Amino acid sequence: MFRSAVLFFALLVALLSTTVTNAQEPATITVQKGAQLFAHIAGISGSDGASATNILTNDLTLSGAFTVGAADTANFTITGTSSGSSLQGSVVDRSGNSVLEKTYSGDRRQIVHQFADDIVETITGLPGFATTKIAFVANNSGRKEIYTADYDGANVRQLTRDRSISVSPALSPDGSTLLYTGYQSGYADIYRIDLGNGARNRIVKSPGTNSGASFAPGGGSFAATLSKDGNPELYLIGLGGGGGRRLTNTRASETSPSFSPDGDEIVYSFDNGGQPQLYRISARGGTGSRISTGFGYCTEPSWSPDGKKIAFNVRSSGNFAVAVLNLGSGSARIATSGSDAEDPIWTRNSRHLYFAQDSALYLLDTQNGKKTRIISGLGKISEPTASR
Amino acid sequence: MKTSISSLIRCTCIALLVLSLGACANKKNKDQFAGVDGDFVSGTPLPDRPGDGSSFLSDNVDKSRFQPIYFGYDSTDISSSESSKLDEVASLLTSGSSTIIVAGFTDERGTEEYNRSLGERRAQAVRSYLISAGASGSSIQTVSFGEEMPASTGSGEESWGLNRRAEIGVVK
Repeated sequence: MFRSAVLFFALLVALLSTTVTNAQEPATITVQKGAQLFAHIAGISGSDGASATNILTNDLTLSGAFTVGAADTANFTITGTSSGSSLQGSVVDRSGNSVLEKTYSGDRRQIVHQFADDIVETITGLPGFATTKIAFVANNSGRKEIYTADYDGANVRQLTRDRSISVSPALSPDGSTLLYTGYQSGYADIYRIDLGNGARNRIVKSPGTNSGASFAPGGGSFAATLSKDGNPELYLIGLGGGGGRRLTNTRASETSPSFSPDGDEIVYSFDNGGQPQLYRISARGGTGSRISTGFGYCTEPSWSPDGKKIAFNVRSSGNFAVAVLNLGSGSARIATSGSDAEDPIWTRNSRHLYFAQDSALYLLDTQNGKKTRIISGLGKISEPTASR
Repeated sequence: MKTSISSLIRCTCIALLVLSLGACANKKNKDQFAGVDGDFVSGTPLPDRPGDGSSFLSDNVDKSRFQPIYFGYDSTDISSSESSKLDEVASLLTSGSSTIIVAGFTDERGTEEYNRSLGERRAQAVRSYLISAGASGSSIQTVSFGEEMPASTGSGEESWGLNRRAEIGVVK
């Protein structure tokens, strides 16, 4: 039953992609050249049409795949009807052929984001990330607390009110669970929050410092740094906090684990008696091997969902910047400008990065260098995390 | 067919080579492993936290009895000027049954999670020093606050130098 369902789905996907490719052969080539596609929003009618148009325009612009503009230059024309919890959307190409026709229901903003992701994925073949959820640390209450928000900075919500130090958040791939490091006990413990019902549990309270949780791709376990053995080491831990398995055995410290998309490997920062460097290790543990980046001081790596790149923090001439390493070519380049850009995290499309700079949260399109401020005005924002 | 057989042989040879290398590595590691469950214990494992809930932030911990231990930038080395402070702590621990909590801190530069680890290593460096000076590891707990709770809030080397520290809390 399952197999036939999978087969049917695969056929459906094949069929759909063939249709799209046939209808939009020139468009596909254009995307590969890295040029812009032009989309025209002809009108979204209904009681929420105006706000849906604004949200969709922003979504398609942030995706980096489209320039939203006038009808005469548009490769695609978008129309729809939005009222309350319902959205009917359609996209046609220049010849008037239907590219996408779909009806959505649910939260007013979320359904527009779903439509935007469907448009991006249908036309470019790459995932959109408008439905992504983010979390971060902000200190505007006078203490560091965890906040959540939509990918575009809407719906900002203060999640913790610990009045202690709450840091190092990690959203599960499906966005349902958040892990973070809290100091309510006077020590650094790892807490798990079920974002659906708000239930919170302290799941790692080993002696010493427990921090830096990062989810495995399946969301059922996470890696973190624990110092109970007399030295900070990486552990693989179940979501319940049990079954902790030590992955590294060194005299120096391992921090900031990030899984490869297949879950087989972990990249992390290793301070082996000198400046910290990037290392990779099997998710089953063993001996890590160094990843050469050409930079002397490398921390906070984030492995891209397509497995091809690693974003990380570097220090060069006293300034902190975000760099991107291409694993295929082995070359790394600095991707940010300005002072102290920190804590990069990839989005679902392996193209954009969230990072913290000047107390604000930014989104960077690594393909064209376009930087967009997503959230500011919450004191100092740091340590962003994103669902997949 | 011929290619597949030769590649099969090649694969087998590589597999055998890898296995034999693995065996060597295992043998070597076995000598290094010193802890329970075959873990390699790189330091002295930490004791359980105090059962009464005492922490570096609780009221029953005296944080003013000893001077902070200061560190160089991105360093966990204890300089000779700082070690004399630690000798006083060691004599407290070796002469009685005191329990201490060592808290590690960093300056504001650098990323947060790296600094939490750096602070922990500073606290552990202090703990290692005290153990080698005769104190029992079971009386020393550690915690890192990273770049949080700076001793001096300014930006600049004068403040940073005061913030790169480990503080000693004595459980009363």
